[in-house]
Amino acid sequence: MIQSYLTVSVILFCLGIVGVISRRNVFTVFMSIELMLNAANLSFVALARLHESMDGHVLALMVMAVAAAEAALALAVVILLHKHKGKLDTNVFSLLKG
Amino acid sequence: MEHNVTFLGYIPILPLIGAAVLGLLHVGTCTRKPIHEKIYGVFACIGPLLSFVLALRVFFTLKGMPEEARYLTQEAFTWFQVGDLNISMGFLADPLSSLMLLFVTLIGSLIHIYSIGYMSGDKNFGKFFAYLNLFLGSMLVLVLGDSPVVMFVGWEGVGLCSYLLISFYCEDTDNVLAGNKAFIVNRIGDLGFVLGMGFLFWAIGAQGFDFMSLKANAHVLAPGVALTVCLLLFVGATGKSAQIPLYVWLPDAMAGPTPVSALIHAATMVTAGVYMVARFSFIYAHVPLAGEIVAWVGILTALLAAIFGMFQDDIKKVLAYSTVSQLGYMFAGVGVAAYSAGIFHVFTHAFFKALLFLGAGAVIYAMHHEQNIWKMGGLKKKMPKTYITMLIGALALAGCPPFAGFFSKDEILFSALATGHYGIWIVGVLVAGMTAYYTFRMIFVVFHGEPRDQEAYDHAHEAPAVMTVPLIILAVGALCAGFLNLPAIFGGHQQVSHWLAPSLTEHHPHASLFVEIIAIGASVLAFVIGIRAAYKRFGAGAEEPQFQGFAKFAYHKFYVDELYDAVFVQPYKRIGDAIRKTIEPSVTDGPVTLAAKVYMIAGAAFKVFQVGYVRVYALYMIIGLSVMSLLLSQSLN
Repeated sequence: MIQSYLTVSVILFCLGIVGVISRRNVFTVFMSIELMLNAANLSFVALARLHESMDGHVLALMVMAVAAAEAALALAVVILLHKHKGKLDTNVFSLLKG
Repeated sequence: MEHNVTFLGYIPILPLIGAAVLGLLHVGTCTRKPIHEKIYGVFACIGPLLSFVLALRVFFTLKGMPEEARYLTQEAFTWFQVGDLNISMGFLADPLSSLMLLFVTLIGSLIHIYSIGYMSGDKNFGKFFAYLNLFLGSMLVLVLGDSPVVMFVGWEGVGLCSYLLISFYCEDTDNVLAGNKAFIVNRIGDLGFVLGMGFLFWAIGAQGFDFMSLKANAHVLAPGVALTVCLLLFVGATGKSAQIPLYVWLPDAMAGPTPVSALIHAATMVTAGVYMVARFSFIYAHVPLAGEIVAWVGILTALLAAIFGMFQDDIKKVLAYSTVSQLGYMFAGVGVAAYSAGIFHVFTHAFFKALLFLGAGAVIYAMHHEQNIWKMGGLKKKMPKTYITMLIGALALAGCPPFAGFFSKDEILFSALATGHYGIWIVGVLVAGMTAYYTFRMIFVVFHGEPRDQEAYDHAHEAPAVMTVPLIILAVGALCAGFLNLPAIFGGHQQVSHWLAPSLTEHHPHASLFVEIIAIGASVLAFVIGIRAAYKRFGAGAEEPQFQGFAKFAYHKFYVDELYDAVFVQPYKRIGDAIRKTIEPSVTDGPVTLAAKVYMIAGAAFKVFQVGYVRVYALYMIIGLSVMSLLLSQSLN
């Protein structure tokens, strides 16, 4: 039974990775990150049930709280980036190129 | 009797606080509207005057103690402790340092007051007084230090301040060069002091490195080590006190403002060397050879400087060479183990030399910064107060009885004669005559005769009271200081020598009345001949002479500066140049440039990965994390 949960979690996580790497729109990248966080949450909760402990649940709740805070910050950053360049394409922001 | 006191530390601290306050005030306001000069003047004089009051307190406290146990100490804090070397910031006041304290603070205070008048209108008024206070504070640290190390702090402090003050008018390159010269020449001497101190510590320092422990342990010094220590310390003294071969900086030090010259020549700095030798009298007294060398160097310096002094045309240079010459006398005194006579000459010299410099400053001030004596003349009528006070100073310097200089100089010459140093005595008497000659040459040319520059003469005027009052006080000192150490032949009791006796290791020579009369008679005769020669030549006014032959040679100071330049400075520069051209690019710079090149190549290689796209960095991160997880899982299995 636990394998099914973990399989779903891994699939979600890989989707998130592919999204972050391949997509160029800032919002899509951002959503992909959220997807990865939730994949991790799913594993936490499933494994917590398996081990009959509350630790995993607590961690899942904390990840949600962090994700919410991060969303608030990230959206502010995105707005500033948009004001600066007028675009949401991540390739435009390449100031760190060596 | 309680020997530990808490007020000794305040004596040097007060002027140092003054220096900090004045310096901060100056730094804080120099770009804006300047503070009124009176505020600076008051702040500048408070510290030295309070120090003088405390010096009086020290003196009277010591006076109230039994003669053989006259000392006060204060240990402010432990400065550092390395192995056997335990150095505390300690102060020691004994009869020797209390005498130094008294005249250093008194004359220092008078020079501060005088400077308020002399420096008025200068845009760096505050800076000047900050340096002056720092100078005095350093000198007091030097005098009060209870170990050679603390003494060295003050020693370096006066060196620094002399540099700052000599190059005070730093808009002019010559003044800056003069300051550099003073600093560098002093540094050579300081090396001798440091080495001497090191030797002393190596030999007997482990039982305590303060003067009292050193004095108690001095008898275990091997003769060779003691001689080395004495000579190295004397190298330090030749630097600070301008003796052969390091005297060259002192005449150039005239580039500074005149009150600074007075301070350097009278109260601080140059007396440090003599004081140091007297302080170490417990070593010097056991090494007659070292004393012999000190005495001969001293008296030859006196002779050389007197020759130079006879041909100078700058009023301050004449006085500068007279200082070098008088310092030579002092070293001759301490060299023949007459330490109290040497220190007494330091004491009287402080009065009349400060007086002469401040008087010269008043003349220069009146003549609108003209220093050439051949542009002056007849100033007697225009500046009566300055004339009379300077005349007193000149009589004291020339050794006219009963002025201060006569008694102290005679004491030194008598000691040389009584201890059998006939050569030193003969040269000393000769120099005494020359001193009278060049001093009165200056007085006659500047104050007597007809004005040589009518326009400057018409504008000349007597200095303000803030300048003349210190002159009058110093004139009283120059007149009377000699009576403090009146020898028995004049019905005196030599109070100063008796006062100094517990601090010094000396044996008073006993000589017959006949020897004493010969010594006095020769000094007086030399004075009379010198002054007569000067009067004949310059008394009725004389024109600027054209120097020929020997006089020209002496006018150019025997080309010693040029010689030093050719023998030391130019080769040193050439060696430096050669090193810069050969060793520096390959040996020292090579590794540095190589390291830079390696990093540049490495940077170029790694640059490829810095693409600048966020998603690529995310990919790197994922690859890195995957590899790490793989390794981690493998190690867990």
